[in-house]
Amino acid sequence: MRIWLGLAIAFQLGVLATASEAQVSQARRTADGKADLNGIWQALNTANWDLQDHAARSGGVVSLGALGAVPAGLGVVEGNEIPYLPAAAARRKENFEKRLTADPEIKCYLPGVPRATYLPYPFQIVQESKYILMAYEYAGATRTIYMDQAPPSPSDSWMGHSVGRFERDTLVVDVTSLNDQTWLDRSGNFHSDALHVVERYTPLSADALTYEATIEDPKVFSRPWKISMPLYRRLERNAQLMEFKCVEFVEELMYGQFRKPPSK
Amino acid sequence: MSHRFITSARILPLAVAAVSLMPPPAAGQSAPKTAGAAATWTAPRTADGRPDLQGIWDFRTITPLERPRTLGAKEFFTEAEAADFEAQENRRQNRDLIDPKVGGLNYPAGGVVPYNEIWYDRGDKVVKTKRTSLIVDPPSGRIPYTPEGQKRAERRALDEKNTQLGHPIADSWEDRPLQERCLMGSNAGPPMLPAAYNNNVQVFQTRDYVALLTEMVHDARIIPLDGRPFGTVPQWKGESRGHFEGDMLVVETRNFKRETSFPGSSANMHLIERFTRTDPDTLFYEFTVDDPVTWTRPWSGAIPMSRIEGPIYEYACHEGNYALPGILAGARADEKAAAEATRKAVK
Repeated sequence: MRIWLGLAIAFQLGVLATASEAQVSQARRTADGKADLNGIWQALNTANWDLQDHAARSGGVVSLGALGAVPAGLGVVEGNEIPYLPAAAARRKENFEKRLTADPEIKCYLPGVPRATYLPYPFQIVQESKYILMAYEYAGATRTIYMDQAPPSPSDSWMGHSVGRFERDTLVVDVTSLNDQTWLDRSGNFHSDALHVVERYTPLSADALTYEATIEDPKVFSRPWKISMPLYRRLERNAQLMEFKCVEFVEELMYGQFRKPPSK
Repeated sequence: MSHRFITSARILPLAVAAVSLMPPPAAGQSAPKTAGAAATWTAPRTADGRPDLQGIWDFRTITPLERPRTLGAKEFFTEAEAADFEAQENRRQNRDLIDPKVGGLNYPAGGVVPYNEIWYDRGDKVVKTKRTSLIVDPPSGRIPYTPEGQKRAERRALDEKNTQLGHPIADSWEDRPLQERCLMGSNAGPPMLPAAYNNNVQVFQTRDYVALLTEMVHDARIIPLDGRPFGTVPQWKGESRGHFEGDMLVVETRNFKRETSFPGSSANMHLIERFTRTDPDTLFYEFTVDDPVTWTRPWSGAIPMSRIEGPIYEYACHEGNYALPGILAGARADEKAAAEATRKAVK
């Protein structure tokens, strides 16, 4: 009896494995048979300026002229609507008005998820079977995705707590324990510490992924909503993640008031 | 350990001081063998047939970088001597037992002991090899400074002392060490050296890369293994290239932007690191540094790192850096008080 049951399970598993392999045969594979997401990737869109449809507009810093202007873009939000609760909609408007001082990107703070993905800098996926390291060029941000046994999250953090699994060829990452200090773009779109993000990374071709993130936050939004965009592989022959340790570019802004004044 | 608030001001000089007391590791070229490692043990392999270095590794130790002068030419402790050294050192290092009025360790009398013992996670053991210093070469266990290097080391020591007496040099943030600015972790190097806390590194390994994620300050050094040449762009943690030599991962790093968190080095530093699994729970880490401006000859250190379960949590340093504005504002307040005192004296 036990033997037959075992055989039946083995048979079923075998069939399932074969079926899923057939569907995903085009994706690159790691040694353990998973879709191989290793590489240096980058979004090529304007989501970091504004997640929603937007015309080009002035950047608001007169001296920067065209250099500081916001490029027009088609939004990445499904249906183009972000379903803010009424109080949150007011806060978003306020954020937009003070965006040139309040956006945490200005201070080189860790970007949070999902914003880290579509900042205008590359990031690298280093994929082994138990852990996946995501290293972002911006601010040297990193996060570790637990693929095997995930410890409980000890507290909220800037980059959150990421637990991953593969659904066929899609890497699904459940992100929780994010603090309320990060924004979603430069236009004041925001979230609270109740944010829950489910990310999906699916190979689209050898050199592109589809990135989808479902964003749920009952303190800020009336329902879950979704963004999606392609991510492109950096194909330069010696492509490498460079350092963008932006702390040194914000010290004058943050600490300039405490600098010793020149002697009179 | 995830002490976001400790970013500060004062722990950093401490951390550097702790490092400078640490003995260095063993000679670069010698095959690393931890004491008692079974000669028959072979490292597990990755699917690509490389030695498997993956895991979270802890490099805490109270073995000093440089051998204490009192130990003379003694390179190794016996078991009993090691136990004695640990007992003494753990008492000496215990911040809760230092009276600020009297001073002790690297704290001058009349200064402050800014962090009490609860902040520390420096470990309480000497390295498994029982070496008396982390430096393994030169045999003296001491850093072979050039006169220029010595001068810089003394200037650093003086600044540390002044900082602990409440008078840091702080005209601008640029006067402060990289760790206080959260630009580089105090122990992340490269090369990695133990400091006050967060002495952990996670190794990720794929066919094409090895990544070293140091807890301090969430810094990922991603090392290509494909033999590509060095570029020309200077970076804070330099540019690293790696390859395997048998069971050993060899990583070469150059193109530093200026000094790293590694005290005293210059942008010209050339670094070789070697990583070897020597038993199921040990990753033997060796480094050799060369920088003719700072040191008269290349020198080497070694630290047997121990496997831990982890995980490593986020250390968001800059985001919680209340110390740096505090240090700068404190210096301005001191100047104001001094000017006021002068004004009154003149009257």
